[in-house]
Parts: sequence; structure tokens; C-alpha cells
Amino acid sequence: MASQQPQASQQRLALGKALEELATRLSEHLKGVATKVEADKRSMVINIEVDRSRILEAAKILSSLGFDHVKSLTGVDYPDKGVIELMVHIGSYSRGLRRIMAILRSKLDRKDPRAPTLTQIWPSSEFQEREAWEMFGIVFEGHPDLRRLLLPEEFEGLWPGRKDFEIPTRKAGEAEEPWK
Amino acid sequence: MMLPLVMLLKEILGFNDTIYRTVVGLGYMIIYPGLLLVVVIAALMLWAERKIVALVQLRYGPLWVSRRIGGALQGFADLIRFSFQEVIIPRRSDVIPFLLSPGLAILFSMLPIAFIPISPSIHPPLYSDLALLVVIAIISLAPIFIVIMGWASDNKFAFVGSLREALLIVSYEIPLIISIISMAVIYGSLDFYEIVERQYMLPGMILNPFAFIASFIAVLRTTSRFPFEISEAETEIVAGPYTEYSGLMFGLSMGLAYIKLYVYTLILSLVFLGGWLPLQGGEGFLLGFLAPSLVVIIKLSLLSLVAVFLRAIYGRYRLDQAIRLGWIYVLGLSIVSLIWSLALVYGGWVRWR
Amino acid sequence: MVASSIAIEEISKELIQTRDLGVTEEGERLVELQIGPTHPGSGHMRIRVWVDGDIIVRCDPDIGFVFRTIEKLSENRIYMKTIPLVERPSLLDTTPMTIGYINALEKLMGIEPPPRAKYLRTILAELTRIASHLYGIGILAIFLGHSTGFMWGFGDRELFVELANQLSGARITYAYVVPGGVRRDMPQSFPDNVEKALRYMERRLKDWYKIFLNNPVIEDRLREVGVLRKNDAVKLGITGPNLRASGVDFDVRVADPYEAYDELDFMVPVAEEGDAYARTLVRFEEIKQSINIIRDALKKMPSGDIIHPQIARMFNPLMKKIYEETRRVKFPGIFASLKPPKGEATARVEAGRGEALFHIVSDGSPRPYRFRWTTPSYRNVILFKYMIPGHRLADLPAIYGSLDYFPPEADR
Repeated sequence: MASQQPQASQQRLALGKALEELATRLSEHLKGVATKVEADKRSMVINIEVDRSRILEAAKILSSLGFDHVKSLTGVDYPDKGVIELMVHIGSYSRGLRRIMAILRSKLDRKDPRAPTLTQIWPSSEFQEREAWEMFGIVFEGHPDLRRLLLPEEFEGLWPGRKDFEIPTRKAGEAEEPWK
Repeated sequence: MMLPLVMLLKEILGFNDTIYRTVVGLGYMIIYPGLLLVVVIAALMLWAERKIVALVQLRYGPLWVSRRIGGALQGFADLIRFSFQEVIIPRRSDVIPFLLSPGLAILFSMLPIAFIPISPSIHPPLYSDLALLVVIAIISLAPIFIVIMGWASDNKFAFVGSLREALLIVSYEIPLIISIISMAVIYGSLDFYEIVERQYMLPGMILNPFAFIASFIAVLRTTSRFPFEISEAETEIVAGPYTEYSGLMFGLSMGLAYIKLYVYTLILSLVFLGGWLPLQGGEGFLLGFLAPSLVVIIKLSLLSLVAVFLRAIYGRYRLDQAIRLGWIYVLGLSIVSLIWSLALVYGGWVRWR
Repeated sequence: MVASSIAIEEISKELIQTRDLGVTEEGERLVELQIGPTHPGSGHMRIRVWVDGDIIVRCDPDIGFVFRTIEKLSENRIYMKTIPLVERPSLLDTTPMTIGYINALEKLMGIEPPPRAKYLRTILAELTRIASHLYGIGILAIFLGHSTGFMWGFGDRELFVELANQLSGARITYAYVVPGGVRRDMPQSFPDNVEKALRYMERRLKDWYKIFLNNPVIEDRLREVGVLRKNDAVKLGITGPNLRASGVDFDVRVADPYEAYDELDFMVPVAEEGDAYARTLVRFEEIKQSINIIRDALKKMPSGDIIHPQIARMFNPLMKKIYEETRRVKFPGIFASLKPPKGEATARVEAGRGEALFHIVSDGSPRPYRFRWTTPSYRNVILFKYMIPGHRLADLPAIYGSLDYFPPEADR
């Protein structure tokens, strides 16, 4: 086992270097569209930060490069900064790119989070966008069927994913659903 | 012990032949081989099915109710349980057909017993020398009530189940009738006594194997044995036409399949397996009635056990696949069997005095 | 039937406006069936199906009946307490989920478990994978009415649940994987018991082929049913054996190896047809490959620590004694306030049903700022909407069972 460890760490170094090269190549393709492209060697991902108006463009470029499906689409709520960050994990089933993931990030205004839908480029994001909408209130413009996915009907107008959602706790003697 | 009772009965009622025949007929229909025997055999067949299938599936099967005899009384325990359960009638259902159709289905399934002899010396209550035709005609009426059951319950799944049943009835009754008629062609008679007697050299199974296979498959379909358990497919349409039934009605619906299995295998064992042969029947109650009837019951139990064993092997066919099977393969087989019978009779290989 | 006809009218009015159907005046022909949560063939979800005669015209999966809000719950709990939370939804292959979460956490903390711990995690993951596939095949069997397949699936699975019990102390929810290693070492008799179980399983697979895969009724029900073409699978982001049965040989254990998978010798079964039969075959082959992996791992098992030395340094003398005598890890109380450094980490694993993704956002506090988790069944739900229309009503359980879709895993 001891002999494998230098081999493993050598492999990891090589992988890290390849990842950085890929990141530079990607940033060239995304020149002018992405505000930041950086590699995260620990998680083997490339973080791509775009402005809200450039999401579709960046998605089209990434899709043409070989990233063919969305693994996860969600928001991260930063109430103190006043943004909800849209975080899309994109992957690829093609041989060269399947080792890494790209994370497309975009900061949306917390008071009115809107983003273009990615279903035209990646159909795999359809149900994920529904969940992101019902949890954070992010309205995806152009989504064919934006309605609740996981939550029951009582959560109309409440966005449970946000940090300011008070998880209802029942006090003694109170009725079952205090948020009504 | 039965013999002095019967003789006593004869003495008491002997003055009026009609009353005597009515009482004996009722006894035939209600006690043996009628209702009571049917219920006992249906309950035992239920237990046998669960036990055999459990052995294949690496488990014990029913063992709680009567542990020492391997849980054999499970069917009766279920029947008692169903009798005490509440019968729920859905508000929007068509109440009279809803309540009446299980009973009527059982009535029409059991009515043929009045025509079918079970021993060579005692005639069934409604003896006729066209019994085979009459029996097939009556028993073909029973599935219609299953369709009514599904329509009368106000439930979409029951509706889908009745549609499936209706489609399947048409596909599989015709081959059954053709196969049975082809056997009548070979034997040259529609009378059960003559049919059984004429199997003294070879049973019907060997005389016309095509008819046997075709009618056995058709019987599997009618009694909803796997792989044809389509109209009550549990994971697709809950319980098909029987979805809204509870309590005794549910027990009747579930028992309906086993009652039909009894009657159909009774017919098949007389027509194909030689009935009460090799026993010839004789004088008295024991030799004349009981022993041949036991032979018939053993033969029909064998057929039933084969039919219920298929639960351990097959899955369930899809509706259109079963219909295709029925219209192409089973119908084709039954037509082949008819041609075979005609060839045997007119070719001169089969001749009756 | 009166109420149902009113419902048909309302729905047909709603449907006439949807453009994806192409149903106009014939809207009245459709019957809406709720294959709802209390249906024997639906699991913990509701499938709304619009049927024209026997053909399904539109299908709408209504999930969320067992939504446990694991992601939100983890924001209020310390990192250690999320480990049992993460394994509950995907109740059958629990270990890959905990492995994924702990991998993400370890990437944040910057530590790596010792080799022996990696092999132990791999062995448990493969045992649960076999159990999960047997469950999936059993559910497919009962959906098709084949009760023997159902009972055999669960009976054979019992063996592997017992083995996991010997290794970790619990039958299904192990909480075996902890940051820095595993919680327990394997007992002395474990390799022999595993070998016996694997040999039994190999013999049983022959019986399975005879009664289930070569059964003419099952073949008729599964062949050409639910065909998923390669580019549809890629476009819709399908994962797991469903993807591999459509011709894409993507497996996270090979594409992005974690734990001990890069040192073990196994193949990834791929089929080309993409129908339900191919998916079932792929699962059977994966059971065989898991058997190979377990044998290989037991042979190559290194000796050594089962917990990272940085954590072992924090043990007090009693914990050290327990560790040395019984090789069981008792965690020091300081882990209640485990504060990984600020940052983000992503990890992915190949669970029994496909690829699971874990993403932790940490702000330096003992609780995660955001924990994002997608499960393979969640990514496969989309097939209900796009693959089922056009099939017959009786194909719905066949397709559902062949996808090995597990509602609690999808809802998390």
C-alpha cells in the first residue's frame, strides 16, 4: 500500500494540472460571458460565475462544448448580501469530460429572483427548476410547466428554502398548522 | 350409515316419487356433490395453492390457524372472517346489481352441477342426454356478471377491470366451446354417461390432445389463474371488478374463481380424463355412488392443483398479449382439434356400436 | 359514473389548451386515472394518467409525498447529525449516500481516510448495492404479478442485510461511515461468511435466470417496452442502470473513482436495446460484478487503522482503550462542534440506482450553510413524463418497476 501512495498523489497532481488547463481553455471559450472561471482541484469542479443576463449564452456555449445534462439546479440564499445564488451543476456523459463537473453560478436579486429557463438547452433541468422555484421563489422565465413539485398546497407563497423561513414549531395547546 | 338413512328416506317419502326425487335432488345440490362439497374443496384448494406456492418461494405458507395439520383450515377461517366483516356499499353505486351479481355469478357457476353426473348409478337431479351442451351454455353466462360487478361499482378501476374481462370472455370462450364440441364429435354423444363409458380404452386426453390443451388454457383464463390473472391485476387496477367489495361480498367474489375452477375441472375430468373409470360402479350406495365420485374428485383435484401451481411460475400477461394468444393460438388449436376429431370419426378410426 | 364524467369534461377542457398533447376534440375520450398513493402499484407517489382506451396519452408524476426536507433539516444540525438523516430516504442502498456526504465533508476538512477504512466502506457499499438490486428486481416481479420473483428477491436480500448487520451492527441504517474512516472493524468470521453468501448468490442467480429472465410471460411483458434511446437518455440526464441499458457506459465508480474503486478490478455492464428487459439484465449483471468487487476487496484488504490519525489523536484514554481492544470508534465530544473551514465541496457517488451528488457550502460554523443533495431517482422522475405516453396502461407497472424508481429517495 505504501508504494501506491506516491503513485496516487502523482496521479492527483496530474489531474489537478489537467483541470487547471481545462479551466483556462473554458475561460477562453467563455470570454466576455463569464465573469470568473476557476478550478477547484479538491472537488474536481470548475466554477463558472456569470451575470444574470448572460446565463443563457454561457449555457449554450457549455452545451456546445459537450456538457450535456444538468445534475442539480438549486439556489443558495445569502440574505445578508441580498442575493440568491443560482447554482447549476452541469455534467457530461462524453468520454473526455465525464471526470469533471462545471458549476454555473449566478447571483440573482433576492427581492425578485428571475432567471431564464434552461429547459430549451438542457431538458434534464425541467423538474429541478420546479423545485428551485418552490423552494426559493426563483421564477424561471419560459418554463413550460412551473408548478409545485414536492411541497403540499399549504405552502402557497412561502419559500421554505430561504433562510428567513421560520420553521413552525408548535407551542403547547396550539393547533396543528400554525402557519395558516 | 348413509345406507339405512337413504332407505329410511325412501320409506318415508316413497309414496310420492316426485317428493322423493326433489329431496334427493336438493341433497345432491346442497350437500354432496353440491354446495357443501364445493365450499370444502374450494377452501382446501385455496390452502393448497398458498402452500404449494409458498414451498416454491422459500417460505412456509399459512401456518397460524391449525398448526398441526399444516394450516389446512385457513380457507375456512378466511370464510368465517369474511362473514363477520362489514359490507360497505359505495353511495354512488348501482345498489341492486352491485349486491346481486356475485350471488348470481355463483348461481350460474354452480347450476351445471345439477346436470353433471358424478357416479354411474345415481342420476343427477336434472338429467338430460344433451347435458354437455347445456352445461357449457349455462357456465358461459357466469362471466357476464363479473362485467356487471365492475360497472355497478362506481369506480374507474373496476370499470377498466370489467372491460378487460369482457374482452377476454369473447376471446377464450369460443375456443373452449369448439374444443368441447370436438370431443362430443369423437364420442358421438352429448350424454355424460356415454362420454365416460366410451373412454374405456383411451382417455379423451390421448384421443384428442389438442382439445385438452386448448380447453385447459381456456379454463385457466376463465378462472383467472396465472398467467391470465388480467381482469383482477392487483398492481395495475387494484382488484379489477371486485375493487369495491368488502365483507361477505368480497369472500363470494374471491371464492367465485375457485368455484368455477371446481366446475370446469369437473367437466374436464369427465370429458378428458375418464371420469369415474376404471371403477365401473355397482350396487348400493358405497360402491355405486361414493367410490366412483371419489375417483372423479381425485381427478379434478389433480387438474386444479396443476392450475393453481402456475401462480408460482408465471407473471401476468398484458391484455392485448392475452387476446392475441386467444384469437391466434388457442382458437387455432381448437380448430385443429375439431378437424382432428372429424378426421378420426370419418376416417374410421373411431367407431361406436 | 356521473361524477367521473364531469371530471372527464373538466380535464378535457384543461387538456385542450395544452400544446404538448395534440388532443383537441377527442379530449372527451380520455379517462383520468389516479394511480395514487393508496394503490398497490404506485409506491409513495401519485401518478396521474390520462388514458384513451388502453393507451396512455399523458402521464404526470406527482411526487413529494415523503418529502422529508433533509436539505433544510441539515442547516439546523451539526455535521455529524446529518449522517443518519442522509441514509434514511434511500433506504436500500444507504451506504453510498453516507459515503458521498462524508466524502464532501472530508474534502472540506482536507483529510482522507486510511486505506483500510476505504476498503471497508467499499465492501459495505457493494453489499448494499446487491441488496438494492435484489429489491428492485423483486418490486419489478410483483408489479408484473410474478410473486415468486418478489419472494425470492426479498429472501435472497436477507442474506446481505445479515452480513451488513455483522459488519456494522444494524440491518439497514448503519451510520457506519464517519468523517475520517469507519466506525467499526470487521469481525474475524466476516470474510468466511461473505464468501459463503457470495457462493450462494451465484447459485441462486442460475435459478433466477430460469424462472424470471427466461420466463416467456416476463419476456413478453418486458421486451420492447419502455424503450429509452441513447440520446434521449443523455438529454434527459438519466442515470444509473437505466442509462447503462441504453448504451452509455457511464459509471461514477469508473469515471470519477472514489474510495477504493480505482484499485479494484470490475467491469461495467452495458446493454444496447434500452428496453425494460435490458434494464433488468443490466441489474443482474451488476449483481455479478458486485460479487467480484467484494471478493477482490477482501483479498486486497490492507491492514492498519480504520480512523484518521488526526481524529485518533483527539481520543481520551478510555476511547483509546476501546479502540485498541475492540476496534470500535467512539467519537470525542469535540465533534459536536466540528467546524470545517469556510468553503464549498462537491462529491458524487454511484448509488444502487445511479449517480448521487452532494454539495456542501460551509461558512465556518458547526452547521452547514447549505447542503444540496440530488439522488438518482430524483433525476429519473422525468422519464414518467416523457417515456410513458404511448404505452398501454398495463405497461405502467412494468416500466415503473424496470426503472427501479424509489419514491422516498426521489423526495428526500
